[in-house]
Amino acid sequence: MGKHVVVIGGGVAGLEVAGQLSKIGFEVSLIEKDSRTGGHLNKWYRLFPDRRRSSEVKEYLNGITANNGINLMTDTSIEKFNRHKDHFIIITSGGRELIADAVIVATGFDLFKSARKEEYGYGIYDNVITSADLEEMFRRGEISLTNNTIPEKIGIIHCVGSRDEKVGNFYCSKLCCVTAVKQAIEIREFLPESKVFCFYMDMRMGGALYEELYREAQEKWGVSFIRGKVSEASETIDNKLLIKVEDTLAGRPLKMKLDLLVLMAGMEMSEGGKKIAGIGGLRTGENRFFAATDNHYGSNKSNIAGVFYAGTCTAPMNITETISHARAAVVEVIDYLKDNN
Amino acid sequence: MGKLYDLLLEDVRFEEGLNACMNCGVCTAICPAAEFYIYDPRKIVDDVQTKDDEKITELLKSETIWYCGECMSCKTRCPRGNAPGLIIMALRSLSQDLGFFTESEKGRQQLALKRTVGHWMITYGYCLYLEGVGTSMHPEQGPVWDWIQDNWKEVFKKMGANYQGDGPGILRRIPEEAMDEIREIFKVTGGMRRFENIEEFSKKKAKELNMQLDDGIENEYFQHIYKTNNGSHTR
Amino acid sequence: MILEGKKAVWNDYQKEIADDKYYYVRSCVRQNFFPGSETAFLKIMREELNKDVYEHPCHTSCTGIVYHSDLVPVETTMTVVARQFALMTEAGYENLMPSCITSFGLYTEILDTWHHFPEVEEKVRLQLKKATGREFKKPKNLAHASDVIFKFRKEIGAKAKYKLINKETGEPLKVVDHIGCHYAKMFPSKGVGGAEYPYVLTGMIEEWGGQIIDYPERRHCCGFGFRQYLVQANRGFSVACSKEKFESMKPFKPDMIITNCPGCPMFLDRWQYVINEMEGKRYGQNGEGIPVFTYEEVAGMVLGYDPWELGLQMHQTDCEPVLNKIGIDYSPEDKYNLDISPSYSKKHNLINV
Ligand code: SF4
Ligand code: SF4
Ligand code: SF4
Ligand code: SF4
Ligand code: SF4
Repeated sequence: MGKHVVVIGGGVAGLEVAGQLSKIGFEVSLIEKDSRTGGHLNKWYRLFPDRRRSSEVKEYLNGITANNGINLMTDTSIEKFNRHKDHFIIITSGGRELIADAVIVATGFDLFKSARKEEYGYGIYDNVITSADLEEMFRRGEISLTNNTIPEKIGIIHCVGSRDEKVGNFYCSKLCCVTAVKQAIEIREFLPESKVFCFYMDMRMGGALYEELYREAQEKWGVSFIRGKVSEASETIDNKLLIKVEDTLAGRPLKMKLDLLVLMAGMEMSEGGKKIAGIGGLRTGENRFFAATDNHYGSNKSNIAGVFYAGTCTAPMNITETISHARAAVVEVIDYLKDNN
Repeated sequence: MGKLYDLLLEDVRFEEGLNACMNCGVCTAICPAAEFYIYDPRKIVDDVQTKDDEKITELLKSETIWYCGECMSCKTRCPRGNAPGLIIMALRSLSQDLGFFTESEKGRQQLALKRTVGHWMITYGYCLYLEGVGTSMHPEQGPVWDWIQDNWKEVFKKMGANYQGDGPGILRRIPEEAMDEIREIFKVTGGMRRFENIEEFSKKKAKELNMQLDDGIENEYFQHIYKTNNGSHTR
Repeated sequence: MILEGKKAVWNDYQKEIADDKYYYVRSCVRQNFFPGSETAFLKIMREELNKDVYEHPCHTSCTGIVYHSDLVPVETTMTVVARQFALMTEAGYENLMPSCITSFGLYTEILDTWHHFPEVEEKVRLQLKKATGREFKKPKNLAHASDVIFKFRKEIGAKAKYKLINKETGEPLKVVDHIGCHYAKMFPSKGVGGAEYPYVLTGMIEEWGGQIIDYPERRHCCGFGFRQYLVQANRGFSVACSKEKFESMKPFKPDMIITNCPGCPMFLDRWQYVINEMEGKRYGQNGEGIPVFTYEEVAGMVLGYDPWELGLQMHQTDCEPVLNKIGIDYSPEDKYNLDISPSYSKKHNLINV
């Protein structure tokens, strides 16, 4: 075929798209802003719902992108992006010019910057961390406080930066409930003496095997689930965290002292995505993610013919969905280029 | 259904204060009143958003709408951009307009407030005008307050005040023309009507309770509402 | 506690504060309980900083306490506030500087409401015209008096006679700040440093040599609660709130409390007295209470103003421990002496311009 497709973003979606397209025989360039591909997967220790190691998925993705002649450009971003007749001219940060027949945007998501929820004190109180920081601890194989002691009482706050008008994010990030459940179990596994409390508004267990994991967390691991959004945290003289929350099922306010607080940071449109939306004239929605042309049957299509989306740059998705969405983008590209000879 | 809700909507604070509540409890969690009283602002917001006349009537006659301290800590945090404190202000206003406030012990206290801070405002132009308001009404003010009260004019003079004087300055006498303007504003905007309402419904209630209620504060009903706490409000 | 994190938050909340030609509106709580603070404030503004501060003899209370006691409809308060604006407009000023936090909050709220509901502003204009014949312009700049002291904290620091330092140990005094709820809780962007980590008082304390101490119940309301204090039957709420704060700050051993709201210093001061009477409990060191100050008093103190002219004898919880720690030169025996020293009696607050 010999058509050239440029894929922007080397996370799960970008790798899957690039791998599949190159397998079929397209010429593929994959542009990644970091020094290595894999995106958020690199930071995660194990994945929900089955808690397999994230490295296994990474291996799969490496497998399909290896030896297929993909032109991989790391440490590269995009400076210019123009449509010219039926092709695209892309100028990279390295000053290279790429001519593409089609473009797939797979710029993924950024984790919500938890310091913006000022009342939780991320970056201010010593032992307030995010879900990503906790994965880092899992990978290092130790969960410890800043004074190197082991936490006993750990709180997990759901919906940090999601479902929250105050930070401008009305939507649900969809994955943080199950991440909380997974991490709660893992904390209990690492620290059998610990107590873990999840503070949630709704348990959104809408994926395959999620509900089962939730039940396991309760039955097997004794994780406590308290229905109420945490209102604030503060630091006590003995370096613990005092939180205020309402146990809404009991209908009374509650104060609790914890050793460690884990924030389930939500997902936001990535900075890289925003930049491309700006220079490429791609439409975004009220939630700032890329807006596809149709929610039901056009979720890969952008407002520009020949530019397609794959993965979480359009909405929060788990890995299964991301890979399916990426494959669907491949179909769209084939369909588009077939008409566009 | 919804008649009282529509009345609430006439209050701009209500419109500002309520989008939709998802019962997260963030407001109750930091509410100083919820810590002290048997009180849950989340519940009030949730009841109001049903638009159910029966539920709203119950609220308007309840003790619970009078527990809020209007600190607005809830407004800072609500993830839906609600302000329970503003919703409660609208409920309290409506409760007084409809005369429901005398149905609760805490609501009846509105007369005590009207005859102190309300009276000072339209008489002197100050919400607080404390010469002569001693430690019998305010024992917590302590011996220093007795000393201040005993030497009021000298103390204020030493503090550089212009007590009851002409021109600008601390606790100056506000000119009668200015006070006329304030009272006219109260008339034009419904402030006076609220005051009259409070008096009228309180008198009715006093009669019902068989208590004497004359002008001022030295009467049975005033002292009763000012001091009574039946002990059922706190946890 | 990671200071860098706080600094990042402070950076996010910069606020525009006018630098001269202020129209000052008084606070009725301040006037009744801390008159010396308003006097000191005007002295600092006019004599130390050479600023133009105007006070209109015909301005009144903003109705704040009446409003938050739910005694008037919102239109009444808006129209009284509109009258304050009208007096300001007539006097040729446009930078409004209220002494009261509740008042500042109320002005902010009203301007915000008018912004979102212009028809409400129109109605208020008509009502004001009808009741008083007056018309008004909205303030160009609205800053609380504590914002203005914050703005000039360096200038004040440069003239200071004392620092907030324990003269025996050379250590900075440990200071707890209490920000009035209505300062930024309603509109975080209108406060210096925002609502969660306000910087307005912290900035002053740091500049004047002290050290700010954070503690868990820092954000908790002092417990005024309007009707919750004004009616005797409800005062349990008020004292419970203050007590919660004292219990929470005690382990940090603060030397003093600084406040920017008119009501809070009175409550934090008097409730310490009440708790001691009722339970024999004190929260300061050496069996003493924790002295509570207004920011004007602290500014006056470092500038070397006489404590009894600042009105520190009007506090129920003794302020002497702090005066002694700093090493302020004062005469203890004159505490209740009501003679007026000629140096201070120039009737500062009576002079406009
Ligand atoms: S998935 Fe759960 S934690 Fe995440 S935003 Fe949705 S409800 Fe909140
Ligand atoms: S914080 Fe807002 S959404 Fe949550 S319970 Fe209170 S009013 Fe409802
Ligand atoms: S305004 Fe009222 S409801 Fe809101 S936090 Fe304060 S006391 Fe509670
Ligand atoms: S809010 Fe302040 S200025 Fe206004 S009436 Fe109350 S104390 Fe006075
Ligand atoms: S802290 Fe107290 S006095 Fe100050 S604003 Fe809050 S309730 Fe009012």
